[in-house]
Amino acid sequence: MPDIEQIASSVESIRKTFEQNRYICSNQIATAVYLAFHLKKPVLIEGPPGVGKTELAKTTATMFGMPLIRLQCYEGLDEAKALYEWKYGKQLLYTQVLKETLDEVLQGAKGFKESVSRLHEFGDIFFSEEFIEPRPLLKALKEEHGCVLLIDEVDKSDHEFESLLLEILSDYQVSIPEIGTVKAMAEPPLVFLTSNNTREISDALKRRCLHLYIPFPDVELEQRIIHARVPEILPELRRQLVNFIHELRGLDLKKVPAISETIDWARTLLLLHTDRLDPELVRDTLNVILKFQEDIVNVEAELTTLTSKATKT
Amino acid sequence: MERTLSNFIRALRNAEVRVSTAETLDAFNAMELVGYRDRAFLKDALSMVLPKTADEKDSFSECFDSFFSFKKFETDPPRAGEQDSDADVSEEGHDQEGDDAEGGQGAEGRGEGAGGTGGRKSKSKKRGSAVSEEEDEDLGEGEMSDPTSALGKLLIEGARTELAMAMASAAEAVNLKEIQVFTQKGLYTRRIMEQMGLNDLSREITSLSQSRSTPARRLGQELKKRREWLREQVRDYVEQQFLLHADATGRRLREDLLRRVKLSNVEQRNFRLIQEVVFRMAKKLAALHSRRKKVFKRGALNVPRTLRHNMAYDGAIFDLHWKSVKIDRPKVFAICDVSGSVANYARFMLMFLYSLEEVMPKVRSFAFSSDLAEVTELFERNKIEDAIAKALRDYSGGSTDYGQAFVDFKKNCLDDVDNRTTIIILGDARNNYGDPRTDILKEMYDRCKRLIWLNPESRNSWTVGDAEMRRYSAYCHQVEECNSLMHLERIVGNLLRTVQ
Repeated sequence: MPDIEQIASSVESIRKTFEQNRYICSNQIATAVYLAFHLKKPVLIEGPPGVGKTELAKTTATMFGMPLIRLQCYEGLDEAKALYEWKYGKQLLYTQVLKETLDEVLQGAKGFKESVSRLHEFGDIFFSEEFIEPRPLLKALKEEHGCVLLIDEVDKSDHEFESLLLEILSDYQVSIPEIGTVKAMAEPPLVFLTSNNTREISDALKRRCLHLYIPFPDVELEQRIIHARVPEILPELRRQLVNFIHELRGLDLKKVPAISETIDWARTLLLLHTDRLDPELVRDTLNVILKFQEDIVNVEAELTTLTSKATKT
Repeated sequence: MERTLSNFIRALRNAEVRVSTAETLDAFNAMELVGYRDRAFLKDALSMVLPKTADEKDSFSECFDSFFSFKKFETDPPRAGEQDSDADVSEEGHDQEGDDAEGGQGAEGRGEGAGGTGGRKSKSKKRGSAVSEEEDEDLGEGEMSDPTSALGKLLIEGARTELAMAMASAAEAVNLKEIQVFTQKGLYTRRIMEQMGLNDLSREITSLSQSRSTPARRLGQELKKRREWLREQVRDYVEQQFLLHADATGRRLREDLLRRVKLSNVEQRNFRLIQEVVFRMAKKLAALHSRRKKVFKRGALNVPRTLRHNMAYDGAIFDLHWKSVKIDRPKVFAICDVSGSVANYARFMLMFLYSLEEVMPKVRSFAFSSDLAEVTELFERNKIEDAIAKALRDYSGGSTDYGQAFVDFKKNCLDDVDNRTTIIILGDARNNYGDPRTDILKEMYDRCKRLIWLNPESRNSWTVGDAEMRRYSAYCHQVEECNSLMHLERIVGNLLRTVQ
């Protein structure tokens, strides 16, 4: 069990621990985690796909030794899938049981009034915690020693769902009409929301969160990331391939390669036992980093210049 | 520090970063946590709390840098004997330095390099007298008496930090933050100087210059120069604060005006600004309507869905599902008259429509003056501005012929018009007495969901001369006068609302 307080004591120690967990990050990212931990505020992470938004939440969970509860958003996600649902089957079963034992319960009751008051003693048993099926959001609130709640791709969900999140994000509580308000345990969850910016997130949601924008890393940082993720690769090849990727990001492409693609490519090159980039090899493996035929055709035309630029010392 | 932070947030709001009160509180909390010893750390922390989009982060970064740069006096006050070789680099600098040397060479024993500058002194003396004709008498080297006014003392001592602080607090006292427009710069400069004790200083200078003793007169000259130097510094400071606090106010004023001005009167130099305004308006509309609404028809039961959902409850129907309709995004055909008189309006309407791509992905546009042609493809391949320029260039020749344009439209794409299409026609309906072909317009009217005619002329002139507006308006769902950005915004906003 890692010492959470110790890790979160400074930005520097967070960054170091991240590095031990093979997540290389900029000072900004570490600052965001530091603030989120101390201010108890959720973090909204935006940035192009593949820069490690989801990975950040996962690594934070490992770092603090907390369980990770993940809610993947999609169009049509509603509270029954995100928050809670009643266990209808169980309710139905218990009703049957009650029906059979009703005679015993009502035995000796004089008059209608008394029977009703006896029945009242059962209270609202069918709508109690017993019969609730917690979904990720409620589960995260009930986690006793804190947890990391990852609400992934929140931009994919509907507007209605966004409003549903507001209560949880600002007060760490949920109102269930039949039961009342469920508050988070002593340690509220550490919430990360990620967004790919397919649509604008509402101001109300943004206001409740810290906002972290993760851009593509610079050459030096990306080299360190590759080093951490694919340690077997030779330093020279690593330098060349990161340079090449940075050249590509400068071009006008439909989808520019992200960090995850760089890592995949590094792994591919490692598998092919190469020690330097050459145009032929790049042409053969281009489909690892570019995901549109149109882009591949565009890049192939300039392959030689790009490669020579990347391999230049 | 709290004051400073709230001032900073004011400056941010000025730079179009939206900061709510709740976020301000967050910022205070964050600042308490990180402290303000580490500048980069504080900046990182605040950049998570205050700005919430990538654009805002940029303006935040800029704003932070200029706000939290303590206004240092870049140059020393013109100080006796402090001539360095840099002075040769620029003519102006040289002159000034020369004057300094002349006035205070060796005064108060502060002339550290005085010995070495003797040769240059004679040169700069000449130059100095050339620049300012009423240069005071040359008093040569010698003693200077001590200044009496507080400001004078600071100036003579060359205490930069104290001066900067005095200036900052004077600025605070005269409420420099309230500066609104650039014409106020002079006023605020003077007020700050006065607050710092300009009057005392001036009085002292006057009395010194009339004094009989040479050291006193020498001091008078020296103070005069330093007063000028100080004025320059204050002006710089005011300029910087103006950019921080008020630049946007003036800009907003201008933008407000542009929204209301007639589009045909917009000057070329304002195009860039107006484009920004258009994009911003479009963005607002897009945000408002990007939400795909579902309309629930209460009362119409969705039987299959209900049965399916209630199977789990033994077929007892208690979880009801109603029919709902998903609303399609509007399909818009824009037909623009691009002949000389209306071209400017067409420009802005097309700009507006295509800026709304996010909520109106299906815009097809046509341009005509005599013959009509589809320009949709131009917009797909080019940037909006280029596409508009090309469309206007290629199709604006020829005299206006609405009849021909309608014939062309019928031939090419009347078949594509269905009951979900909204047709917007922009034009002044001045047909040069040609055949108006209202029959085709009627056909369009029957087929489409809505036909909107936007006319840039004012309503009174719609029936004057060769204008056919009266005949055309019979076959339109809606006829609007449209000649400013405000009109455009209202109409497009309505369009988005009614088609949903």
